[in-house]
Amino acid sequence: MSKLMNAKQYEDSLRKLNLKVYQFGRRVANVVDDPIIRPSMNAVAATYEFAHKPEYEDILTTTSHLTGRKINRFTHIHQSTDDLVKKSKMGRLMGSLTACCFQRCVGMDAMNALSITTYAIDEKHGTEYYKRFLKYLEFVQDNDLVCDGAMTDPKGDRGLGPKKQFDPDLFMHVVEERPDGIVVSGAKAHQTGAVNSHEIIIMPTITMREEDRDYAVSFALPADAEGITYIMGRQSCDTRKLEGMSFDRGNMFYGGHEALVVFDKVFVPWERVFMFREYDFTTMLVENFAAYHRQSYACKVGVGDVLIGATQTVAEYNGAEKASHVKDKIIEMNHLNETLFCGCIACAAEGHREPCGTYQNDLLLANVHKQNITRFPYEIARLAQDIAGGLVVTCPSEADLKSPEVGAYVDKYFKTKADIPTEHRMRILRLIENITMGTAAVGYLTESMHGAGSPQAQRIMIARLVNMKQKQKVAKELCGIDKSDNLT
Amino acid sequence: MKVGLKYCGGCRPGYDRTAAMKDIIEELGEGFEVTGADDEESELIAVVTGCRTACVDPGALPGKPLRFISSLEDMQRFKEDMRKRLNEER
Repeated sequence: MSKLMNAKQYEDSLRKLNLKVYQFGRRVANVVDDPIIRPSMNAVAATYEFAHKPEYEDILTTTSHLTGRKINRFTHIHQSTDDLVKKSKMGRLMGSLTACCFQRCVGMDAMNALSITTYAIDEKHGTEYYKRFLKYLEFVQDNDLVCDGAMTDPKGDRGLGPKKQFDPDLFMHVVEERPDGIVVSGAKAHQTGAVNSHEIIIMPTITMREEDRDYAVSFALPADAEGITYIMGRQSCDTRKLEGMSFDRGNMFYGGHEALVVFDKVFVPWERVFMFREYDFTTMLVENFAAYHRQSYACKVGVGDVLIGATQTVAEYNGAEKASHVKDKIIEMNHLNETLFCGCIACAAEGHREPCGTYQNDLLLANVHKQNITRFPYEIARLAQDIAGGLVVTCPSEADLKSPEVGAYVDKYFKTKADIPTEHRMRILRLIENITMGTAAVGYLTESMHGAGSPQAQRIMIARLVNMKQKQKVAKELCGIDKSDNLT
Repeated sequence: MKVGLKYCGGCRPGYDRTAAMKDIIEELGEGFEVTGADDEESELIAVVTGCRTACVDPGALPGKPLRFISSLEDMQRFKEDMRKRLNEER
């Protein structure tokens, strides 16, 4: 029987895990309550809590095509273009409610990509991966789990393939084949939401050749399986979260996290293996995951909504909101943000059905959308800082505002209007700082650049997917180089 | 009178859907009850959407009259219609 967990149930479920997590060189004894990790847990918990709210449930929940039961959309396999469109809308919605990475899209994208790829492998090789995958999917849906979709290997020397690296573990690979399963070693880098996940789904990071057969492996494991170690990534301004509930953290509730996930001779039972040495399907898995995940950057539109709201607010606090250039810059921010929304809606609306029944985005438009994501948030952030003014980086701390010695000075000299408390101005500036250069900038800016593939990866796909010959054909016909029957 | 309520997911609402509905409930007061979309006793279902795309699937709702509300203006008209019906009932 499926259950839609709420935030509390999700938190309790995490407490049952025995994750081996390291941060600042020490093992984290209590992951859920760790002050640096906790805001990221809150963001994932929001995907559970808001699914129960009538005003959001139409996007955040749907019906399982396997069981007919109500499930969280983050565990869904898309059955129509409407599902894909709702996925884009879900990204914007969650981004606009949390102003950060809520971490749950990557597992959804991994599962959708696996549904397509396992079916295709079975069609060619007569294997039973799709059946295994559907059983696993039902388990995930019924228990409303968070899955970390893990693709990015450390990759070592970028000029060399997996087999030629000086250290074989620089790409995840099979080290032993047993009657009951396989043993793997390697690591996955930049894993968003890893320590807030119940499960981890591994996929190969690039196209593998025959010599790389041992690296063509995909599987799922409980996040606390024996041999898995998590090493937390640092974020700019992360230790502000150690200062209690100071508003210097910018976002008082939510955040994201990334981790390096190390697999040291980890056992995977056969029933959880979805690809084993079928190197000829690694491209399919990588490209399908990439197309889904590039669409997922719809979330940045939601974060942009919050940043635009914060920018308008600080302009009003500063008394600058009527200046024509300020109004125009905020129009530009909205223009860029809604252009991003156009891309993630378009790639979904132009989606198609794969042979297994799963719907996939239009690959070209998904890549164009993600390419825009590598740029526009930077410009939106630049405009936000332009309007916010220099105080976004020179503002004293909350402790200074509350200091008996200097608090009155801070209050006096940073007050702009009699009816606007200085603290409000400082809070909104801290939120802008958080999104454009603090902990949330990891998600809003650099993750926008490199997540789901760095900019060049999309440009390669764009070059491959456009029909250049057709464009040339019409151009040549219209200028009279070639003759056409279609022209009058 | 009982009115079933179904919200869209609210990805890009042009107005505050929940606040607007709360205002209507408070203004109409006693005799006007809002309930879940699947409540069999409701006379109609108010489908409150944040924009005119109105992406709620009507086919997934019980077969009874649907009133689509996509803006504050729609909400105002809905309120007046409900007030009229309430007065007639009284």
